[in-house]
Amino acid sequence: MEQLINILLLMLSSVLVQNFIFSKFYGICPFLGVSDKPATAAGMGMAVTFVITLSSAATWAVYYGLLVPLELTFLKTIAFILIIAALVQLIEMFLKRYLPSLYQALGIYLPLITTNCAVLGAALINIQNGYSFLYSVAVGFAAAIGFTMAILIFAGVRARLQFADAPKSFQGMPLVLISAGLIAMAFSGFSGINFF
Amino acid sequence: MNKYIKQLKEGIIDQNPTLVQFLGMCPTLATTTSVSNAIGMGLAATAVLICSNVFISLLRKFIPKEIRIASYIVIISAFVTAVELLMKAFFTPIYDALGLYIPLIVVNCIILARAEAYASKSPVLPSAVDGLSMGLGFTAALLLLASVREILGAGTWLGIRITPTAFEPALIFILPAGAFLTLGFLAAAVNRSRAFAAEYAASHPKPSPIEAIPDEFVTEANDTEAPSSDEPAKSTEESEQDTSVDNPTDAADDTPSEDADEAADDTERSAPEMVSGADAAEHTESEDDL
Amino acid sequence: MDILFALLCFAGISMVLGLMLAVASKIFAVKVDPRIPEITDVLPGANCGGCGFAGCSACAEAIVSGAAKTAACPVGGQSCADAIAAIMGTQTGTVTRMRAQVMCSGGHDNAKQKYLYEGPHDCAAAMRLGGGPKECPNGCIGFGSCALLCPNHAITVENGIAVVHADKCFGCGICVESCPKRIIKLIPFDAPVHVGCSSLDRGSITRTYCEAGCIGCMLCTKVCESGAITVKDSIASINYDLCTHCGKCAEKCPRSIIFVEEGKCTVAPPAPQAAEDAQNVTEAIREDAKQNADAPLQTKDTPADTVPQESSTANEEAVPENTENADLP
Repeated sequence: MEQLINILLLMLSSVLVQNFIFSKFYGICPFLGVSDKPATAAGMGMAVTFVITLSSAATWAVYYGLLVPLELTFLKTIAFILIIAALVQLIEMFLKRYLPSLYQALGIYLPLITTNCAVLGAALINIQNGYSFLYSVAVGFAAAIGFTMAILIFAGVRARLQFADAPKSFQGMPLVLISAGLIAMAFSGFSGINFF
Repeated sequence: MNKYIKQLKEGIIDQNPTLVQFLGMCPTLATTTSVSNAIGMGLAATAVLICSNVFISLLRKFIPKEIRIASYIVIISAFVTAVELLMKAFFTPIYDALGLYIPLIVVNCIILARAEAYASKSPVLPSAVDGLSMGLGFTAALLLLASVREILGAGTWLGIRITPTAFEPALIFILPAGAFLTLGFLAAAVNRSRAFAAEYAASHPKPSPIEAIPDEFVTEANDTEAPSSDEPAKSTEESEQDTSVDNPTDAADDTPSEDADEAADDTERSAPEMVSGADAAEHTESEDDL
Repeated sequence: MDILFALLCFAGISMVLGLMLAVASKIFAVKVDPRIPEITDVLPGANCGGCGFAGCSACAEAIVSGAAKTAACPVGGQSCADAIAAIMGTQTGTVTRMRAQVMCSGGHDNAKQKYLYEGPHDCAAAMRLGGGPKECPNGCIGFGSCALLCPNHAITVENGIAVVHADKCFGCGICVESCPKRIIKLIPFDAPVHVGCSSLDRGSITRTYCEAGCIGCMLCTKVCESGAITVKDSIASINYDLCTHCGKCAEKCPRSIIFVEEGKCTVAPPAPQAAEDAQNVTEAIREDAKQNADAPLQTKDTPADTVPQESSTANEEAVPENTENADLP
């Protein structure tokens, strides 16, 4: 029971306090790239959630099952990126065969995820913090939910920005970055909260 | 040789990976809380970029097209691991400060983008120069961003206190929100100066660099001291006025700023007059130290 | 030794992953029906979404799987449907060509404004500000967001209302999706009449803000012999499958908002027909015939005030311009 509460608190803190986008800057590229429309943002968020949850499990298994016994932990970056790349490809094939509707929704985002630092970042954080298998998967899932939430909020803001009458120099990326900064300011309000 | 200098200028100014192409945003925003972190991150990425570019260029005829991205990622991650171990051994404080962002160089879009767009199609030497130029452009942008953030947010530069004690540092610039805001304002300044350069190029078709520049400075910037020759004109402009595009050249590499000066770049120096007040304030802050 | 060990280990990991992917690609292989790319080639390739699927290849997939008819593409027309039917080896269904129609006729002169709008020139933006400047909650905002999106430039904004030019419209339905008020409808290309209003308010309320609003008086329902017109939510709607092209509803409508397409109704005078017949006659007679044919057209076909007003304002504008030009030199 206590462990369950711990996991829930850890997940809550991953979503809000340690938000991937607004406090750790993991996955900024897709955050800025595919947040034009809420629909695409939701697709990206779902794809990332899917991949991070599975890759957290896979990398944990490989790290503690293979690299630690063989004393090759210093090669974890290469091993993880290999696993993530293979996993993304595998998920793509699996979805295409068995869940075509989900593949339609996520298809175009999956290849982009290999080079998404959120996925590798989540795997490395789990190892760095020495989480158990259950914790790793839970925290990975929660972090991905935080990412999805951030990208969805931002897509909503950007939909409104289209009508903003900004100075010419600020149109495009500068305005996007500044509004991201304002949301980050709101999220920094969570940073005082300590769940433990 | 001229070609390589042009390539360097391309990477640092015209096609700056961070401020123009907006690639590799994660380390840009995350590691610019202090100047020392930014330099460490920039140089580490530059080293990886040069090595991976050279290696991929060497292997470009042997890597099958279907699995090229996977191969590039493996090559890049090998060099990242090497750099990570080197930094852990010799630059422990910076390694500790940067933490997870060193292994995350693997998924930095700049490196993969250069491998795919340039190194996989070009001979070794140009690929190496391309890696150097993009890496320096990245480092310069990080340095600029970190300077603004550290000075405004902590009142120090490279750990040395440089603001008067009356200055109360604005903590927001060190916080994540400050990263987005600063980069946003810098990007706007870059946009403005590029638009200004384009306007200038349009209104002055093919200006000969030697004759057109001083005339332009006399009329546009209405200096009190009329420049007698070309060189003083440039130097006064450089010291008095500054833009984000200009800063990287001063900070990172001086050769392109002198050799590859063309009319377009010089006009960028007179751009800040048009930039909004908030930008100008930031620039004057950052320029004090550079 | 350590290095060799590490190398071997990673060669092993890569080998396992590679084998896994190779096996997976065999297990998870998806058989693609060869007819799908063939049909995709036949389709126009505009990816307009007019068929209701996400692009032409999705439409092709739907046709092969049986979810869509061979005549699913509204843009390609009969020839495209025949080609698809040849690939599928089935009989062609008939394509009903559709066209878009803006179901609103409350222009600047007959619909009341709620406020003076000074925002971005975009319907969706205006919609966010209290539902747009027109008092009618279902009236055309008139900033032409649909016109911008129309791939065939078939929509223009006239007198504050978007107008679809039927001859250019190929019925893709992009404008239908784009309209924030959802008042653009796809109707059969041959539809003889349409109701130029979308107001869902009661007649007494509609009357207060728009002179061209349907008040749900049911007169058209009563006069229609085939029962093609129904009134629901105080708005008349026409079932084109039942319509007999008699045109009586248009004659009867007290608000003159059931509009007749030229020459498609039997009761309304077939104006273009008269003009065509007249072509055989001598020039002088032809001109007379045209004037005669145009006169009833203006009273019947147009919302009674737009055309005359426009022409009169155009004349007024033209006259001072001429005098100014004459004065200048």
